[in-house]
Amino acid sequence: MPSHDTDDERAVGAGSGVFAADAEVGPDLARVDWSRTPLGPPDRWPQSLQTAVSILLSSRFSMWMAWGEELTFFCNAAYRRDTLGQKYPWALGRPASEVWAEIWDDIGPRISTVMTTGEATWDEALLLFLERSGYSEESYHTFSYSPLRDDDGAVVGMLCVVSEETERVIGERRMTTLRDLGSDPSVVRTEQEILAFADQQLSRNPQDLPFTLTYLFQPDGSARLRGSNGMSADHPAAPAVLPPGGGVWPVTAASDGESLLVPLEGAPFTGLPVGGWVRPPEQALVMPLLQQGDTPYGFLVAGLNPFRVLDDGYRGFLELLAGHISAGIASARSYEAQQRRAEELAELDRAKTTFFSNISHEFRTPLTLIMGPLDELRTEFADGDPRVREELEVAHRNGLRLGKLVNTLLDFSRIEAGRMQATYEPVDLSLLTAELASVFRSAVEKAGLAYDVDCPPLAEPVFLDRGMWEKVVLNLLSNALKFTFEGSVRVTVGAEAGHAVVTIADTGIGVAADEVPRLFERFHRIENARSRSNEGSGIGLALVKELIGLHGGTITADSVEGEGTRFTIRLPFGTDHLPPESVAPLRDTRAPSSANTYLQEALRWLPDDEGRPPVPHLGTDPSADLSVLPDVAARVLVADDNADMRDYLTRILTGAGYRVDTVEDGAQALEAVRAQAPDLVVSDVMMPELDGLSLVGRLREDTRTASVPVLLLSARAGQEASIEGLHAGADDYLVKPFAAAELLARVRANMELARLRNHQARWRAALVDSLQEAFFVCDENGAVIEINAAFTDILGYGPEELPYQPIHPWWPDADDDAVAHDQVAAAFSLLTGHARGSYTIPVSHRDGHRLWVTAMFSEARDPDTGSQVIVGTFRDVTAEHYAIQRESAQAALGMRLNRATSLPEALMGALTELRDVWNAERVLAVVRREGREPEVTSTDPDLTWQDLPADRREEFTAWLGRPPLTAVSDATGTGITVNHPEGPMVLHIRLGENRPFTDEDQLLLSLMAGQLAQALVRAHQIDQQRETAIALQRAILGPSHLPEGFAVRYEPATRPLEVGGDWYDTVTLTDGRIGIVVGDCVGHGLQAATVMGQLRSACRALLLQDAGPAKTLMALDQFAAGIPGALCTTVFCGVLNPETGELTYSSAGHPPGILARPDGTTTLLEQGRSIPLAVRPGRHRPEASCVVPARATLLLYTDGLVERRRRPLTVGIDQAGEVVRNGRDASVDDLATQVMARLAPLNGYDDDVALLLYRHPAPLEMTFPAESSQLAPVRKALRSWLAQCNLSPQTVQSVLVAAGEACANAVEHGHRDAPGESVRLRAEALVDALHLTVADSGRWKKPQPHLNTHRGRGIGLMHALMQQVTITADTTGTTVAMHTRIA
Amino acid sequence: MTTPLTLIPGQQPDGSALLTVVGEIDTTNTAALGEALDGIEGPLVVDLTGVEYLDSAGLSTLFAHSDRIQLIATPLLEPVLAVSGITELVTVHGLTGGG
Repeated sequence: MPSHDTDDERAVGAGSGVFAADAEVGPDLARVDWSRTPLGPPDRWPQSLQTAVSILLSSRFSMWMAWGEELTFFCNAAYRRDTLGQKYPWALGRPASEVWAEIWDDIGPRISTVMTTGEATWDEALLLFLERSGYSEESYHTFSYSPLRDDDGAVVGMLCVVSEETERVIGERRMTTLRDLGSDPSVVRTEQEILAFADQQLSRNPQDLPFTLTYLFQPDGSARLRGSNGMSADHPAAPAVLPPGGGVWPVTAASDGESLLVPLEGAPFTGLPVGGWVRPPEQALVMPLLQQGDTPYGFLVAGLNPFRVLDDGYRGFLELLAGHISAGIASARSYEAQQRRAEELAELDRAKTTFFSNISHEFRTPLTLIMGPLDELRTEFADGDPRVREELEVAHRNGLRLGKLVNTLLDFSRIEAGRMQATYEPVDLSLLTAELASVFRSAVEKAGLAYDVDCPPLAEPVFLDRGMWEKVVLNLLSNALKFTFEGSVRVTVGAEAGHAVVTIADTGIGVAADEVPRLFERFHRIENARSRSNEGSGIGLALVKELIGLHGGTITADSVEGEGTRFTIRLPFGTDHLPPESVAPLRDTRAPSSANTYLQEALRWLPDDEGRPPVPHLGTDPSADLSVLPDVAARVLVADDNADMRDYLTRILTGAGYRVDTVEDGAQALEAVRAQAPDLVVSDVMMPELDGLSLVGRLREDTRTASVPVLLLSARAGQEASIEGLHAGADDYLVKPFAAAELLARVRANMELARLRNHQARWRAALVDSLQEAFFVCDENGAVIEINAAFTDILGYGPEELPYQPIHPWWPDADDDAVAHDQVAAAFSLLTGHARGSYTIPVSHRDGHRLWVTAMFSEARDPDTGSQVIVGTFRDVTAEHYAIQRESAQAALGMRLNRATSLPEALMGALTELRDVWNAERVLAVVRREGREPEVTSTDPDLTWQDLPADRREEFTAWLGRPPLTAVSDATGTGITVNHPEGPMVLHIRLGENRPFTDEDQLLLSLMAGQLAQALVRAHQIDQQRETAIALQRAILGPSHLPEGFAVRYEPATRPLEVGGDWYDTVTLTDGRIGIVVGDCVGHGLQAATVMGQLRSACRALLLQDAGPAKTLMALDQFAAGIPGALCTTVFCGVLNPETGELTYSSAGHPPGILARPDGTTTLLEQGRSIPLAVRPGRHRPEASCVVPARATLLLYTDGLVERRRRPLTVGIDQAGEVVRNGRDASVDDLATQVMARLAPLNGYDDDVALLLYRHPAPLEMTFPAESSQLAPVRKALRSWLAQCNLSPQTVQSVLVAAGEACANAVEHGHRDAPGESVRLRAEALVDALHLTVADSGRWKKPQPHLNTHRGRGIGLMHALMQQVTITADTTGTTVAMHTRIA
Repeated sequence: MTTPLTLIPGQQPDGSALLTVVGEIDTTNTAALGEALDGIEGPLVVDLTGVEYLDSAGLSTLFAHSDRIQLIATPLLEPVLAVSGITELVTVHGLTGGG
């Protein structure tokens, strides 16, 4: 790269002011030897180039520009930083095609489009391979090229506003890969499926991943290729197996958990795939697939994009990929293990069911062998070591319970096998039932319930098997106590229609109507019923029903949920329904055999004697000393309704170093987990209130607790498969009985798994956080409940204040910026009712600055909770938005400026455009022209400089002294200084209440101001040219000053020319006579005008030689013959004596003049006529004369006034005469206006028209010093003028006296207030009237005859002598206007 | 500079005093006119036949002597004299229909 020339000090001299706007790039620009570039030294640069460079340097947006034939390169500091890289400062002042040689094929055509068409280009995220950092680099740029124009409006350069999007585009691409990778729809996959899916997703990003290889370690330390993407199967760089310790890829480093960058040179790496590029990768990154606490699963080889360096972002992306693949392998392997375990559990359950159903007498023997010694030990240790005693009690209670369960199951087996040995004795039912009921009295009363046993003797006995009946009654009572928390339990015996009736009723929780029919089903349990205990097998009532059935009786249940349950047993009297061999006579009564079992169990449900609750609440084992446990000890929550089981579990887990909390049911467990999530929950499946399966469900529903692992324990077998627990979302399932070692192994394994799952959660968080777009999740109410890091970066709002309720704080303020607020509100309302959508809206950053974002959103269902959420992203499109706004605003301004035909129009158009762009209240421009007061142009049309408050004027004056394109602002708005061709200018925009004016706005304003400054220069040049042209035209058109009494009009046929072929002229001759000329050259437009100009000058010169009309025209004939285009010009030429009204004239083929007399008659000046000019040069021309009488009007014109198609000329002439006749009361100037208006065709004149009017005599106009000596000469002049008006002597006298009085008054005031001031007198004769005006600079006294008789009398005289007198006095003087009719 | 005015004292055929005024009477020369009138005692005829212009200043001077003068005037001055009201106080000769 050529080095930059830094040799000299010439640099910062002339022209450096252009570069002063920027301290960084400016000095380097100043050092460029511009004289060697086609642009030449900066002090000779055109205004337009200086403006463009100022805009460039003063912007903080990244820009470069090119100017002139070689497209000489300039850039600003932002561009240098973002894009130019090492090319700085070498690039400054070089041809753009050299600076960007490597991408010229891409950008060259775009630039040439801009240069040739003047239309801007717009490219979004265009891929360009820049060589700014020493290598060819993949980069993306969003940019616009806009034309730059020189002072004449020609396109001579272009401006590029660019934002580099490389980070965004590449970030999005990587994001997509990560998202795709995480989008695996199926929950469970095998390892091979996971790797195949990953390969498929990775193959969709051949840019970042030209190829990938996945090797997994084998047990022998070798690595096997299990996945590949982009690489052909037989490529030497992708062997199927790598031996332990090496080969093509660094196996050892990977198995040690190290990442390694491998250069891809030499033998095995030739012919590698190129991926999304034209060149193969030059390097590959080998990354271990890490495994928690173990050697890596394998490693991932990723071929690297040759057009990017391996920066942190790239490396992070690749590590996330490897991490994801590792997690996938972990989950596949753990799933496979779980599946094996679930299958084993199912097998175990099947075995258990078989075992139970085949249970035999053998069971009772060992049970008895346990219970017997136990009873002995209890007796022996009754006063012994409390800990031993407690253990014995536990063993004893559970022995009893087991015995009862075994007996019940044996009963079933017997019943089912028809081997139930029953003996029916005639029993006193009331007595036996009351006895059995009394066993429960203590327990019922301890539970705080009323116990009502109403068993009156029956008339006859009932044949019963005592043992069976005992089971019936005890089961039902046990049931009543278990489900009744307040009220009573009632037992009654009675007789009804040949049956004994026994009822056992409670005021417990009852059961739902639809559950009642299933109450007696075997193993059916009512789920989640509130009870004192969940102990029980669900076979009690089934057994009761079977037993009653053996007695030929029935049992029914009536229950109302929340009120209670009543069981009614009907037993027939007599023996007819019983097998005769089983009927026996009454034997001795004996104590109920199993009553103690039932009672012992029931008492365990109830509080002990000290009133302590039956089970500890959330308590830890008091024997465990928490202080000695390490802080890191994992917390386990145990939920079991069985107190022994809780104690047992606590002992095992505490012993293994876990911290343990216990609760007695699912509801408490849920509460405890929500309060503080443990590392693991160990829960029984069957619990009152909320069972284990429901607990798992509830935990999984809530995002806060969804990830807490749960290990379920159950004694349940048979109907429900244990796999159900896993399906419900439990992490593991353990069936009782279990060994302590097995429990601990499961607890440990599940905690490991949970850590893996947390890895998944972390993976998701990393994924979301690595999004470069702001990501958010809204709940169904619109509250934002989750955001990512980019959200905070873009909007400034962090996660610590979540949730953000609508209206979100980033909405633009409803008061300050209602328009923006409404846009957001409208977009937000789209959120509901649409599955997905996208919109671009303005939002406010936390620090207040305005952003534009494209919001994308779609509806989703939260997989954990099932609730409806909206996920969305915000992409920051501020730069794009403003680029588009800039383009359109500049285009609109350009249109307006092009349409403007003058400088004021251009300025006004620009102000209007600025007002529209910012929707501003008012935009104004203040211009200070040399030596003049500043002048205001405003969108508020009446505003003047003086209307502005003094402090505003001071501020503007100060701003006017600043350099062009300096931003200025104050409390009322913002502005910028601009070079106006006639002096400094300030543009000021008043936005209105609190509206912010952002940096983006400031940039746009600078651009528009620069554009305006250039346009003003152009418009100024055009204005000057036009003014010159008009001055020239007027010079050839006619005299700048007309003698008194004349009025002229001129209407050219060709606009915007102000001249044509027609002309008029008046020439005051040396003797006071006036030469009058009206002529008409053939044609119109510029051609005719040039001929006309020459003829007019010639004619004028001839008249001044006192040639007379005929002689003048004859000389003009000769002159015109030598001028092409002068042939057939018609001319009326006359000489008027303004004293006498004598007119001598000659006409060269011109329409006749019209003379309108005061008596209302008209005469055409038809004599002295001959042919048009130059037709017969040398031929004699006639001359005629007439007198213009006093108060007559002479009308001369060209044929454009009167000539109309399909109409004789005379019609037009008559019409003109009539208008003049009717204009008796009009001044001659007003009359000229009337003639032009009345004779104009509907669509205006289509031919040149020249018109000249004269009324005789010309008005008298005198100015004299306010001295009384002047009165007589003034009177004399007036008397002489009045004589020309042909008035009666009386009228003359009256006018003289009235005028004399007015003059005398004026003189008197002139003397008094300001000696030497002048008095002006004007007298004008209309056809029927006479106007007199006397004006002075003093103030008159009011008429006060008694004080100053003759002055007062003077005013009286004026009123008496004239028909109308008006005296107007103000600070500048007094004017007397008098009017009298003179018909 | 005053407007030229010729004042010629004389006598009527009947011997009464006569002042003949020729020229224009305006504010610049009323003083001279006044002096001339003051210089003649008793009844006086002022002949304004040669006066081409008479303004309110001149009229005021004449009003000051209206108790002892008579005027001779041409119809040219009639409107001014009539409008001023002096004809009601002073006999004017020479007007149309006048004495």
